Amino acid sequence: MERRESLKTILLSTLGFSLSLEGCISPIGEDISKKVWDYKYGRTPYEKSRDEEFLNSVFFSESEKKTIEKIANIIIPPNEFGDIKDAGVVEMIEFIAKDWSTPAHNNYGENVLRKGLKVLDGLCVDRFSKNLVDCSDNEIKSFFDEISYQDDISEDLSEAASFFATYRYMVVTGWFTSEVGMKDLGYKGNIPNVWDGVPDEILKDHNISYDEEWIKKCVDQDKRNETAVWDSEGNLLT
Amino acid sequence: MELINSKKEYDVIIVGSGAAGGMATKILSDAGLNIALIEAGPYFDPANPDQQTQLKWTWESPRRGSSVTRRFGDFHMSYGDWSVDGEPYSSKDETNFMWWRSRMLGGRTNHWGRIASRLGPKDFKCKDYYDLDENWPITYEDIKPYYDKLDKLIGVFGTKENLPNDPDGFFLPPPKPRLHELYYIKGARKSGINVIPSRLSVLTKRINNERGLCFYCGQCERSCSVYGDFSASSCYVIPSLKGGFVDLYTDSMVREITTDKNGRATGISYVNKKNGKEYKLKSKLVVLGASSCSSARILLNSKSSAHPNGLGNSSGLIGKYLQDTVGTSKSIFVPELMNRKTYNEDGVGGAHVYTPWWLHDKKLDFPVGYHIETSYRNLGMPQFGVGGYIPNDLNKFFGLRVGGYGEQIRKDVKKYWGSTISLESRGGAIPDINNYCEIDNDKKDKYGIPVLKFNYNWADSEFKQAKHAQDTYEEIAYNMNGILIGDKPGKDQNYGISTPGSIIHEVGTTRMGNNPNTSVVNKYERLHDVDNVYVVDAGPFVFKGDKNPTWTIMALAWRTSEHIISEFKKQNI
Repeated sequence: MERRESLKTILLSTLGFSLSLEGCISPIGEDISKKVWDYKYGRTPYEKSRDEEFLNSVFFSESEKKTIEKIANIIIPPNEFGDIKDAGVVEMIEFIAKDWSTPAHNNYGENVLRKGLKVLDGLCVDRFSKNLVDCSDNEIKSFFDEISYQDDISEDLSEAASFFATYRYMVVTGWFTSEVGMKDLGYKGNIPNVWDGVPDEILKDHNISYDEEWIKKCVDQDKRNETAVWDSEGNLLT
Repeated sequence: MELINSKKEYDVIIVGSGAAGGMATKILSDAGLNIALIEAGPYFDPANPDQQTQLKWTWESPRRGSSVTRRFGDFHMSYGDWSVDGEPYSSKDETNFMWWRSRMLGGRTNHWGRIASRLGPKDFKCKDYYDLDENWPITYEDIKPYYDKLDKLIGVFGTKENLPNDPDGFFLPPPKPRLHELYYIKGARKSGINVIPSRLSVLTKRINNERGLCFYCGQCERSCSVYGDFSASSCYVIPSLKGGFVDLYTDSMVREITTDKNGRATGISYVNKKNGKEYKLKSKLVVLGASSCSSARILLNSKSSAHPNGLGNSSGLIGKYLQDTVGTSKSIFVPELMNRKTYNEDGVGGAHVYTPWWLHDKKLDFPVGYHIETSYRNLGMPQFGVGGYIPNDLNKFFGLRVGGYGEQIRKDVKKYWGSTISLESRGGAIPDINNYCEIDNDKKDKYGIPVLKFNYNWADSEFKQAKHAQDTYEEIAYNMNGILIGDKPGKDQNYGISTPGSIIHEVGTTRMGNNPNTSVVNKYERLHDVDNVYVVDAGPFVFKGDKNPTWTIMALAWRTSEHIISEFKKQNI
């Protein structure tokens, strides 16, 4: 297949899949169908039904979700690439809460994610006599400062610190695995391309260079489309 | 149980559609033999958009790729892993063996790292060179023509290096190294350790008009939708189905090989996973390519008055001499790779460089060497867990505070992204009769088929090999100006040696030999006891050295298939 053709096939394939998926999810209602539409990634029938079940059910209350969003926006503040909402962080945590709610995960949703919110909320009530969602960013940061550094956590805050670390892990993951977060990180791949080595300016920056003997043996990308022919000794002739 | 008999008699029934069964299907059906191909999983074509995960973005998964339903993450292309729903296995006493199964057309070749190494001359003469208990009954020269044909048919990139035990082939040109691989080359060479281009079955150059070329997404483990990497489904089975000589039975779990009163095979019985019913198929000959342990299991479960210990098991050796690769790994932090300028370095779906075993003539306290593979996704697409549980844990190396939140955490993730290299040894295991799988008489899978029980322990010399690898990493790290992440695993941690089975290279359960008392199959992979049953997966391996087994499975399966064709022509079957 020509490169141009392969790209075309990929494009057509993706399109074809979207159309067929749209047909088979119509009964679950528009909102959900839109969600499932977003998540088209080659599932087996079992995996698909599992996803649909979780996408179609609710774990966190609205106020819990607001709490998560508030925490998340402090852990990874908005910047020019977007914010926590754009990154779908709360949706991801909501999904994982159900996805990991198995005995194998020790009911992570309930025992860790929900309990974590309660513990952090409890800290706010103790200190500021209000729930976390009603605290100001500065109030929240004042105790995040106490629980977020490994070297400086008082014993009575160790449980809160461990829940904080879990939420930090989730939020950082949610951010950098999102479309906006990958732009923020500078990830440039996942697209068809022709790799022809590390860019020269990067090599220069690192004061490193390709070994000439080595490079002579590497693929000449201008000739990649010529069918390989060898002599009887295995020397490539094309 | 009700048995449904098919009237049709096939020339050959092939069990398993991966590297082994797929290869046999291609060669035997090309020769015009009528084939029934039996696969325990569903139909799979990497080009099918409903199954494709290649080029999906992490955010297209609601769990951002995390490994809940697939062990290596949402986008990994294996249906099944070390556990398969309804298909348990057990381990004896305190031992632990991890048994991977990919239940799908093409089997494990869909997720495989495409490392296409040949065994070397010394690996075949392993008794002579490594003082192991048996040599292979064949030599490198016997199998070389099939490796050569494979290289040309399927494609593998690499370079001619004239190394003593890593034979060259008909290579496509390799891709240029990535940045961190250049650091590895520099560090390893300073340590006197050779590094060469990897040898992977990925099309960096056209080999025919049926398959697309690699477009460098770095996702071979997702199986390539343009067939730019090799998988048995895309390159063997799917094309063979078009020839009209192959009937494919998917979702079909083989229970046993059936025999006549003289003990010759008459076909198989299998359970259709969709309706739970049991069927029988007839054939003149049976080829097992179900993977080492699955084929051993089928043979051991095929008991009859002629074969009371299982089919072909008069030696009592089926399941014995099980070997997995010895592995141990270490991550290294390279400060010079901090704060990287980013660009697309996805490359192919594997490392572009590796270190073949380099100490052939040195006197060491372990007989068999290892090669070193490096990590390759340094600036790869972020998936669940990006940055690690504590995103700036590496701050500790600079005396900076670990933890925090806000802009500082964002900056730290970027600062450290792509700055670590992980090294993994892949070493030869010692064939040992005490490492084995056998039938667990107390347990059946959900299809009512008795399951396997494993017994596997590493030998002293294998721990020593792992220790040597860890010492090597330390030296290379130093020469890369790098720092080991976490303590170097010592004796108390068994030098970080892998759990048996975790490297997914099981071989040796139906070993090949000239003597029926000390081996299960002959040099054409035919059971000594039964003249119409062959095993073409890695079961017949006597020893595999430090090599990844796939290329050898296929070369042997090709050779055996040609032998089967000649037997049909001579009307011996």
